[in-house]
Amino acid sequence: MKKGKITMIITIAISCFALVFIMCMQFKLVRQTDITSIETMRQEELRLELANWKQMYKQAEEQYEEKVSRLNEYEKNQKSAEESAKLVEETLEQTNMFLAKTEVEGQGIEITIKDVKDDDIKPIAAEDLLIIVDYLKLAGAEAISINGERIVNMSDIVDIADSIIRINQQRILSPYVIKAIGDPTNLESTLMGNGGYIETLKSIGFEANIERENKIIIPKYNKEIGYKYIQ
Amino acid sequence: MTNKKIISLVIGIMCFALTAGICIQIKTVKNYNSKISQNYEENNLRTEVLKYKEKYDNMLKEIEEIDKKLQQEIEIATANNSELEEVNRQINEGNKMIGLSEVSGPGVIIVVEDSDMDSSADIDSSNLIIHDIDILKIVNELKNAGAEAISINDQRIVLTTAIICGGNIININGERIGSPFEIKAIGSPEALANLSRPGGILSNLKDKDIGVHLRKDNNIMINKYSGVLNFKYLSSLK
Repeated sequence: MKKGKITMIITIAISCFALVFIMCMQFKLVRQTDITSIETMRQEELRLELANWKQMYKQAEEQYEEKVSRLNEYEKNQKSAEESAKLVEETLEQTNMFLAKTEVEGQGIEITIKDVKDDDIKPIAAEDLLIIVDYLKLAGAEAISINGERIVNMSDIVDIADSIIRINQQRILSPYVIKAIGDPTNLESTLMGNGGYIETLKSIGFEANIERENKIIIPKYNKEIGYKYIQ
Repeated sequence: MTNKKIISLVIGIMCFALTAGICIQIKTVKNYNSKISQNYEENNLRTEVLKYKEKYDNMLKEIEEIDKKLQQEIEIATANNSELEEVNRQINEGNKMIGLSEVSGPGVIIVVEDSDMDSSADIDSSNLIIHDIDILKIVNELKNAGAEAISINDQRIVLTTAIICGGNIININGERIGSPFEIKAIGSPEALANLSRPGGILSNLKDKDIGVHLRKDNNIMINKYSGVLNFKYLSSLK
């Protein structure tokens, strides 16, 4: 009787252990499924992904055509020193444009946000501006400035104190005026509407608005751009 | 006798629960797979996505070819002309900073990965994963510490790079990347390593049980930007 009981308990313990083991393995398997792979994407995600790649392909095609025509220009003007010098200068101008070394203009939007005098509402922080800039980039902004400070590739946005933010080593204060050049509809819709970041700031109580403009002028980055470490 | 019955009953219920758990797990996994193979529409979409991705990759290769030829043309045009050689040098230096050429140098490599703690435990599971805002903040801090070139999982950060989250995936330069995230930055290794100071962003993430590793390296290679940089709305003023 007693022996039988012990055998039974041991058997059950072993089977329980085996079951738990299998369950753990299963959980692990589910977790390890590669989330970045398109194999696991659902229909809606796939549609978005397709639109994303179509758009990227279109842009690549445009850039290809632009570069081919530039190459043709070079080849055509190879004999003439003067013409080819002009082309090299043009290439440098484009480089400087990507470096934000030139003042630029174009259509886009202007966002104004003001801190409110209310102890319950925390003032706008660097993180808020960082997120807005990120959304603007996502919507295809080609140039961005905040209170006259041009956002370049290595621009940082940090808090110095409550209501004091530093961009490009320069202090800025409320009201924050963010200018962006790009497709005004895209730029506006990425921040407005349900869940849009500016919409959210408004609902918290900030004074914020977005204006579409046909002509926005964004100043150049007004410091030396250089490097010490990269080769 | 009743004691024995109770024991049997308890064990019976336990076994039942375990079996049910296993069945649910197996079913989830199966469902997942069968949905993938059965849904015709989804398969079509998947093929389309792959087709466009391939077309895009091919286009980028062609752009690279053209870039090489352009580079040669510029070399030819600027040779034997000290003034234009200077212009060419400025173009090349500019391309390094824009992200259009591969660069190397000293710096740090930061690896952050989602917590491997069991998300079914009763803590808020969103604390255990890395969010786009975390990556955005790390990149911002690197810039603040004087980084000169940054990449995330080999995607170079350029002027137009947005770091935006879709579920557990972060989308950078149009490419989907997931945890673990490897962030490379070139700059002063000491200044960049300061990100792991107590109370800094990396130690905050560590407190949330997110895996964080930072190491200095004297020779980091950072890829060039593999996407398209083409402005349509903006023009330079003289």
